[in-house]
Amino acid sequence: MSNEITLRDISRKSEQLIQVHPRDLLPLPPPYEETNPNPAKEFLAQTDGNRYEASLDGISAIGIPKPKTKAEEEQLIRTFLSGLRKLFSEENNWTFLQPLMLSLEYCGKCLTCSEACPVYIASGRQEIYRPSYRSELLRRIKERYIDNPGRITSWFKGNNVDLNWETIARLAELAYRCTLCRRCAQVCSRGIDNALITHEIRKLFSQEMGIAPKELHEKGTVQQLRVGSTTGMTPHAFKNIIAFIEEEVEEKAGKKIQIPIDKQGADILLIHNAGEYLSWPENPAAFAILFEAAGLNWTLSSESVGYDAVNYGLWYDDIQLARIAARHTQIARDLKVKKIVIGECGHAHKASITVADRILTGDSNIPRESCLPLLQRIVLEGNLEFDPGRNDFPVTLHDPCNMVRSMGIVQPQREILRKICPQFREMVPHGVDNYCCGGGSGFAIMSTGNFADWRSAVSGRMKVRQILEVFHDVLTPDTNKYVCAPCSNCKGQLRELFNYYDVWQKSRILYGGLVELIINAWVGLKEPFINWEWH
Amino acid sequence: MALALAILTYFAYAFIIFMDARKAIKYAKMPVHLRWDLYPMVRNGDGSHDTAFRQGTQSDKNRGKRFIKSFLFILKDNFYLGEYFHKNRRYWCVLFPWHVGFLLILTFNGLCFLAAFSTFAGLSLPPEPSNLVGRSLYYAILVTGFGSFIIGSLGSIGMLTIRLASRELRAYASPINYFNYVFLLAVFSTGFYAGYSFDPTFSEYRGFWKGLVTLSPIDVHFAWAIHIILFALVKLYLPFTRSMHYVTRFFAFLWVYWDDRPNVKGSAIEKAVQGSMDHPVSWSAPHIPSGKRWSDLNSQPAIPGSGEVRR
Repeated sequence: MSNEITLRDISRKSEQLIQVHPRDLLPLPPPYEETNPNPAKEFLAQTDGNRYEASLDGISAIGIPKPKTKAEEEQLIRTFLSGLRKLFSEENNWTFLQPLMLSLEYCGKCLTCSEACPVYIASGRQEIYRPSYRSELLRRIKERYIDNPGRITSWFKGNNVDLNWETIARLAELAYRCTLCRRCAQVCSRGIDNALITHEIRKLFSQEMGIAPKELHEKGTVQQLRVGSTTGMTPHAFKNIIAFIEEEVEEKAGKKIQIPIDKQGADILLIHNAGEYLSWPENPAAFAILFEAAGLNWTLSSESVGYDAVNYGLWYDDIQLARIAARHTQIARDLKVKKIVIGECGHAHKASITVADRILTGDSNIPRESCLPLLQRIVLEGNLEFDPGRNDFPVTLHDPCNMVRSMGIVQPQREILRKICPQFREMVPHGVDNYCCGGGSGFAIMSTGNFADWRSAVSGRMKVRQILEVFHDVLTPDTNKYVCAPCSNCKGQLRELFNYYDVWQKSRILYGGLVELIINAWVGLKEPFINWEWH
Repeated sequence: MALALAILTYFAYAFIIFMDARKAIKYAKMPVHLRWDLYPMVRNGDGSHDTAFRQGTQSDKNRGKRFIKSFLFILKDNFYLGEYFHKNRRYWCVLFPWHVGFLLILTFNGLCFLAAFSTFAGLSLPPEPSNLVGRSLYYAILVTGFGSFIIGSLGSIGMLTIRLASRELRAYASPINYFNYVFLLAVFSTGFYAGYSFDPTFSEYRGFWKGLVTLSPIDVHFAWAIHIILFALVKLYLPFTRSMHYVTRFFAFLWVYWDDRPNVKGSAIEKAVQGSMDHPVSWSAPHIPSGKRWSDLNSQPAIPGSGEVRR
């Protein structure tokens, strides 16, 4: 039974530790109660289980190659221990040493955190997904193999987890079964942050062993620093897309605008998640329309990295985090702008505005702000006229974890929605207590093996249920409904979830950003801006 | 025997104070870390909470006031464990008496110390003729003493029971957890036995404290001696356990979750960060070149094609 898995089982030599069964998953309301796909089934058929590690739960987020020889396995264990030591050294991990020590040393093992975790609950309370499971593993491994106490002390403290290849590989995978949403940290009375411990495990694997999901590293931060964007978009391609957006705005919205690029001395350098340009170009278009209408002195950058706000380093690697943050501010300095404003992207908010704040020193530390209070000022100060009647359909707000729980930005987006959306309704819970979309910490862009199935079936399940519940009185497809998600990664996850559960067909629920709703209500446009089509 | 008990008691108090201070200094001296805010910071009366990002910028004139408010919030929560009360009521039902027992036993000993010290000011406690202060102290000692022994014993038994009864809690427990419950139960129950059976007004125990204060240790009943030894051993043992969370909790909340001080030019934070950026980096993954400092890495692009497993 998967809920009887113990900590020691992590090192057990077996093909697969647990299997997530459809019958275990969190129930969904009608007509979605039958949607219980088996997330592990397809993977085993598709992936070469002999080459890649999938012995945790049949899912492979990272695609770690298995060691071919005993010597190779021993070398991996040595490298793991070397990285573990570095996690606790001031020189190598000054960035998070204090939070890590505080979280690792003082857990009371009361398990209060478990019920706060949407992954644990949605999975049917699988033991290995419990927030404290992976933390306790790291704690016991550290105490046994790094602190190196005597045999009796070790027994007394319960340090009975063996370190072998199975332990390491499963721990690496387990670090990618948590969205780092930090609901668990929020309920811990002692201040234990299991998400932070997960973050540190990811760092150990990336910074010492070179193990990270390719979507985050090779195709993520490495590609961003080399090409300019995690999407692969080059500066030239970016300029072409901007030209395309200008044409679209003129054609569909009847508004001729010129989007400023590389304007020296502007007040604002606006940086979007580059995924917006490719997947949801209406979002940067709406920003441009609004900023122009509000008469802001702003610009975009066409410099490599300057048009992509993402910083995947936040999720797995401090070095990559620092490199990208430094590049963003260097571009802003070169343009001589007064400040950077981050578009609707949650993790870019947190990476740039708070976490990287203590990496940037001297002149490189130029002001970086969220777009949400700026949008709030534009909407509420009264210079532009809005007609809420244009948004007269049920609207709910998905709170991106990085904006609410990690930054406390809760009210601006609500004040906007209350003004322009007469049928605005709140999910339960919401604000700082929200549930993650299930695509946090990189999950939304990860699709190795059958990880995407797991993400939709397990980590995003709680959010789907919340959305269905908030629209319970209008769930049939005869009413258009809108989930406002001011975050690119959350939108990416919602797109996958809505496809997976067939939400558009069954309930006509659309997802989109906040600024699209603002522009939809702006009387300066003759035609509706929101396009009620699934794409 | 009297001298040994006195020395042990003095040493135990000095030791735990020293270790608490050492722990606090250790955490306070750790390098400034990257920001890792967690909201809500302390909620206001209306359920709302403060954030420096409300107006976009990070300036916050109320930071000093908020720090004091946050400090008091944690201090208060250390006493009544309100966070547990709201989030895990079942666990709180046993954890709370366990904690209260511990807080009361400290108060009980503190009051005995006060009573002993007050004799220098001419204060006397019943049954001798006494004023209101003396009588109040007398009854406060009675209430906190028996209160701690009874509530603490129940809490210890409760913690042991809930841990053993729940398969989930048991799975994460170590022998040390059970030892802690039994150890504290022994402290509380021996105190109750000594007080109830041989010293119902705690006059002998107050005498022991008077002996400590006047440096004239006295002999006590064997049952009290056992209790005094066990309580001293707890103080010697606690610094090596996770129970030091009453110290580290302040750091977790005030130094990490609620530390939203921005890194402004010329600030102490900026100086600390600059110091840390001079550290050499010895992480070994392929995308991290060797022999560099943190500040050098910011200007180094990632190595193209890196990402293979380091073997």
